[in-house]
Amino acid sequence: MATKRRNLYLYLTLICFLAIIGIFIVDGYMGIYDTIYVTTGEWEHKIESDAWRDNDPHWSSGMTRGEKAFVRYEVDNRQFSRYEADIEVSVWQMQAKVKDVLAQHMALGAFSKGQIEWEIDSAELIPPDATPEQEFNYTLKIKRGEIERNIILYINPVPYPVIKTVPAPPR
Amino acid sequence: MNIRLEYVLFGFGILFCLAGVGYLAAEYVQNLSEAGKLVSLLLTVAMFAFLSKYFEGIGW
Repeated sequence: MATKRRNLYLYLTLICFLAIIGIFIVDGYMGIYDTIYVTTGEWEHKIESDAWRDNDPHWSSGMTRGEKAFVRYEVDNRQFSRYEADIEVSVWQMQAKVKDVLAQHMALGAFSKGQIEWEIDSAELIPPDATPEQEFNYTLKIKRGEIERNIILYINPVPYPVIKTVPAPPR
Repeated sequence: MNIRLEYVLFGFGILFCLAGVGYLAAEYVQNLSEAGKLVSLLLTVAMFAFLSKYFEGIGW
């Protein structure tokens, strides 16, 4: 009787351990995960899926005026079913849309990854009458179905503006 | 002091097993939902409680 009872505790321990592993697989691993890679200059910023969990809207990336930002949006479907979504990317400023970057349909099979790449040219965003010292902030909105990811893009002025020398007039 | 080689190997095995489970837990705990974290915590407490009762039963 005592041995049976002892073994019961061991089985219950094993059941608890297996249940924890089960939760980690079902709740922690499975699902849809997206990762954003923003490359500006020589730096690559990686924004992982869990970064949005705390509802922190201050994910940002900066670039110098005249540069381009290269963005890679990776979606990982860790489900037994197929996943489909419409991806819409746009640039906003002051709650107004400045530019549509892309609109694409993404279809992923079970346990597979997909990615979309695009680039953002700072020259296309800055108004033509902007002075060289001005800096600009834009919001890059990535919409995947119901989910929206926002990244603030800082466009900084050129640190050392090119000084145009005017040749002295001939005497 | 005469430690059998088997026990040393068992010790290494258990250590590697714990390291592996710990690494996976650290990796995926970030993706767990709040409810998942809570249930995992409760199950961990229950697991250690049952394990303690088992060791108590075998006379440790």
